[in-house]
Amino acid sequence: MEDERINIGTQVKRGSAELAILSVLADGPLHGYQIAKSIERQTQGLLRFNLASLYPLLYRMEQRGWVKGTWEGAPGGRRRRYYRLAPAGRRRLVPLREEWAQLFQALNRLAGVTHA
Amino acid sequence: MPDWQEMIRPKLAPLGLDAKREEEIIAELAAHLEDFHEDLVRQGKSQSEAAELAFSAAADWDALRREIQAAANEEVIMNYRLGPAGKRRLKTFWLPGACTGALSGILLRLLQMPSAPSPHIFWPTPGMPFVFYWHWLLCLPLVGGIGAYWSRHAGGKLRARALAASSPALAWLCFPGIFLPFVLVFQWIVHHNALLVPAALFLLGWVILPEAALLLGALPFFRGHTAESRPVAATH
Repeated sequence: MEDERINIGTQVKRGSAELAILSVLADGPLHGYQIAKSIERQTQGLLRFNLASLYPLLYRMEQRGWVKGTWEGAPGGRRRRYYRLAPAGRRRLVPLREEWAQLFQALNRLAGVTHA
Repeated sequence: MPDWQEMIRPKLAPLGLDAKREEEIIAELAAHLEDFHEDLVRQGKSQSEAAELAFSAAADWDALRREIQAAANEEVIMNYRLGPAGKRRLKTFWLPGACTGALSGILLRLLQMPSAPSPHIFWPTPGMPFVFYWHWLLCLPLVGGIGAYWSRHAGGKLRARALAASSPALAWLCFPGIFLPFVLVFQWIVHHNALLVPAALFLLGWVILPEAALLLGALPFFRGHTAESRPVAATH
């Protein structure tokens, strides 16, 4: 039972983080720090990513072919690894959005939980 | 400005990845900390305070190292097992091919039962009969059709559909066919008899004719696109 709870919690966290990353990348390529800031800004600070939560997930998503990272020049002559939404990621985003919308609707029906 | 890479490297080592990938990860994490540090300085923090805050961003370096290793292991496992191309091959060739192989094997076994119609038996050389299951050949177009339909439905292109339909004949070609040349050479050396007629009959009865029958059944499914093999229009 404990394992199950932990597993559900992990899956929910990972699923919501994947949705957040895919959603911000749908607007255009961003490097890791920009992804974290963009999510933080768009959720008004509710969702925050740090090194430990962002990069392992990005690497997993890259392996699944959802995002593609490439080193590119950034302002100031620096190089940053920019992530783009791959076609598989774009395809994944559609059902992921629907799943989360359904989850919020179900929670709303169950406990009167509403989302923004 | 702190040397972020030098600060991160001992915290993450050893990641156990190949050197190039490890350096890329360290460079990327260092770039993140550099941007974070600059943001903090812009917000009014002192250089040292910002550096300390930025470096504590990872909070738990051991956990970060384990997570990166887990992600990398998933990468290795996925690459080793099935990448996107492997999954496509599995769906469009291996599964329908295994299905046609199994179906043709089951049919052949059924036709070998005592109650089944008798096969044709030839005696191309004395003491060496050749059994020709013509009922089996008549059933093979259906088997080939099932394989090609499955492959097309899974998004298989023409080659995958043809291979999926042909898998029973390919199996006969690959397994017994591999040993055939050795048997022929052995026979020639030992008995001065190349057994060319039985070998040709074997190829005809178990490879060429079944292949033709399988492809005949598959023919209607060589046409038409599926959702995955059809060119996708750009969307915005």
